[in-house]
Amino acid sequence: MFKTTPEVGGMGHSVKRKEDSRFIQGRGNYVDDVNLPRMVFGHMVRSPYAHARLKKIDISKAMALPGVLAVITGEDLAKAGLAWMPTLSGDKQMVLATGKVLFQAQEVAFVVAEDRYVAADAAELVEVDYEELPVLVDPKKAMDKGAPLLREDREQKDNHIFHWEVGDKQGTEKAFAAAPVKVSLDAFFQRCHPAPLETCGCVADYNTATSKLTVYLTSQAPHAHRTLFSLVGNIPEQNIRIISPDIGGGFGNKVPIYPGYVCAVVASLTTGLPVKWIETRSENLMSTGFARDYHMTAEVAANKDGKMTALRVKTLADHGAFNAAAQPTKFPAGLFSICSGSYDLPTAFCEVDGVYTNKAPGGIAYRCSFRVTEAAYLIERVVDVLADELKMDAAEIREKNFIPANAFPYKSPLGWEYDSGNYQDNLKVALDKIGYKDLLKEQAEKRKGRVHGHWHLHVHGNRGRGPGAYLRHCRHQDV
Amino acid sequence: MAKQTIKVKINGREREASVEPRLLLVHLIRESLGQTGTHIGCDTSNCGACTVMLNGKTIKSCTMFAVQADGGELMTVEGLIQNGQWHPLQEGFKEEHGLQCGFCTPGMLMSSYALLQKNPNPTEEDIRWGISGNLCRCTGYQNIVKAVQFAAKKMAQGGTK
Repeated sequence: MFKTTPEVGGMGHSVKRKEDSRFIQGRGNYVDDVNLPRMVFGHMVRSPYAHARLKKIDISKAMALPGVLAVITGEDLAKAGLAWMPTLSGDKQMVLATGKVLFQAQEVAFVVAEDRYVAADAAELVEVDYEELPVLVDPKKAMDKGAPLLREDREQKDNHIFHWEVGDKQGTEKAFAAAPVKVSLDAFFQRCHPAPLETCGCVADYNTATSKLTVYLTSQAPHAHRTLFSLVGNIPEQNIRIISPDIGGGFGNKVPIYPGYVCAVVASLTTGLPVKWIETRSENLMSTGFARDYHMTAEVAANKDGKMTALRVKTLADHGAFNAAAQPTKFPAGLFSICSGSYDLPTAFCEVDGVYTNKAPGGIAYRCSFRVTEAAYLIERVVDVLADELKMDAAEIREKNFIPANAFPYKSPLGWEYDSGNYQDNLKVALDKIGYKDLLKEQAEKRKGRVHGHWHLHVHGNRGRGPGAYLRHCRHQDV
Repeated sequence: MAKQTIKVKINGREREASVEPRLLLVHLIRESLGQTGTHIGCDTSNCGACTVMLNGKTIKSCTMFAVQADGGELMTVEGLIQNGQWHPLQEGFKEEHGLQCGFCTPGMLMSSYALLQKNPNPTEEDIRWGISGNLCRCTGYQNIVKAVQFAAKKMAQGGTK
C-alpha cells in the first residue's frame, strides 16, 4: 500500500483528532452547555393519546404559577400561521396540535418559565380535554375500508402517502411465469430509534435590536434548518444563524426539524429572551424520528440449478403520523432500489407504498443508510431461502449469482450503475480466510443435538460516500 | 419551594449553594457550580453520562438529589487533570481513539478512574464490567477498552494514581 513519510503524514498514518483534547477534559460545548444571559426554559406538554380530538386546553393554572412567562398552544400558533411546518419530505407536520393529535407524545403546548423545574411543573398544570379516537397502529390495515382517517388536513381522504415503483413489471411477471423454482419471504425490518446519547434541544436567541435570530441547535443539517426557520418564521435567511456546536451523536435523529425547536424560536420572538429547550430521554424516544419500519415481501424466480432469473419486491412503509423522512435522495424510498444487491438478475421489479399510522414520524436515515440496510437484509435473506429450497450451500448460491467480474460497469435491473467489482474473488478470499469448509464440518457435527448457524451478508451499499460492496460472515454458536 | 444551603467540595474546591431540595445533583454540578463536563443522557441512571465520584465512589448524578451530597466530596471529569498534567486515562482515550462525539466520555472516564483505583491491573473482562454502567453510541466500546488498558499500563510504569 502507498504510504507517505511520517513528516508528510496522511495516507497510512493514524491521525489524532483535534476535538478530543477538549472532550476528555470536560470542555465540550454541547447545546445544553450553552448558557446565555437572561435565558429562560421551555417544556413541552405532550399528548398521552395516540389519536384524539383536542376539545379544550386550559392554561390558566399553568400561567398562574410564579415564574411562568408564557404557554403557547396550537391555536396561538395558528393565528400567526405557524401551526404547521413543512417536513423534509414534502409533507407537513403540526408544530403544536390543532384539532387533533396523531401520535402518543405529540406536542400540544409549550410552556416557558424562568427555571427548568418551574417549566416542568407548569406543563403538568396545563389541562387538556381529549376525546379519544380509534387508533391505527398496523400499517397493513391503513388502507382498509373503515380504517380511521388520520390526516384530515389533506385533500386525499385516505392514509396513503405515496406509491413508488421501479423496474420492469411485465418482464418480471413473465420471468416468474416461466420459472421452475419460486420462493418468497415476508420480512419485517422493525421500527428502531437512533437514540443518540445527547437528546435533541436548542437555545433560540432572537435579538430584538438587530432582528436577527441565533439558534444553537442539535442539528445535523444546519443549512436545511435555517431554510425551514426562514420559511416558517418569515425571517430572511440572512437574519438567521444556526450554530451547531458539539453534537452528542446524531445517527440521523438530528436531521429532521422538531416542533420543540420551532416553539423555542417562537417563544424567543414572543418574550424577547433567549429560550432553552432540551428534551428528556423519554421525550426523545417517544417523539423524534424513527427509522426502518419496512414490511417487505421478496420473491425470487430461479432455475433448478440456483441461477436467479427475477426478483419482485413489494414493501409497505410505515411513516407514522407525518412523513418527515429525512434523506437526501429524490426517491420516497431512498436508495431501497439497491435491493437486487450484488446479484446478476436479468429482470426485477420493486414497489413501495408509504402509509400513515398513529406513530411518531418515521423514515429517517439511521446512520446514513437511506434504506440500504433494509434492502441488503431483504435480498440476503431471500437468497438464503432459495438456497434452502434447493438444498444448496449458501456460499455456492451466491457465487453462482454474483455479477461476474467481466460484466462491470454493470447496469442493475432497478437502475443502478455499478462501476467495478469482483465479488467472486472477494467471496473466495473471505471463505478461505475463515476456513469455511471446516466451519461447515463443525456445523454439521454440532447440529447433532444443537443448533449451530452462520450467515452471509454481502452488502451492496450506496451511501453518502458512493456505492461500494463489502462482505460479512458471522457465526452463531451454541444458539 | 424553600431553599437550603449545602456545602460540597468539588475537584478540591469548597463550594456553597442554595438549592431546592428537589434539585438533582447533576443540575447542581452543571448549572450552580458551572462544571458542564458532566452530561445528562437518559435521566434514569441507564446511560452513565452523568457519572461522577462522590466520597470516593462512582454515582449517577442524574438520579441523586443535590442535598444528598451535602458535606460530601465530588470529583468530576474536570478534576482528572492534575497540575496541568493529563491523567493517563485522558491520554489513553486520545491515543486509542476511545471517543467520537464525546458525550459519554466524561462518564466513561470517571467509571474507568474508579475501576483503576480499585483494580490497577484489570483484565479486558474487568474493564468491560467496569464500564458496564456506561453507554456509548458511537464507538462500539472496543477502543474504550483499549484506552483503559493504555492507562493501566502507563500507570503501572509511571506509578501515577
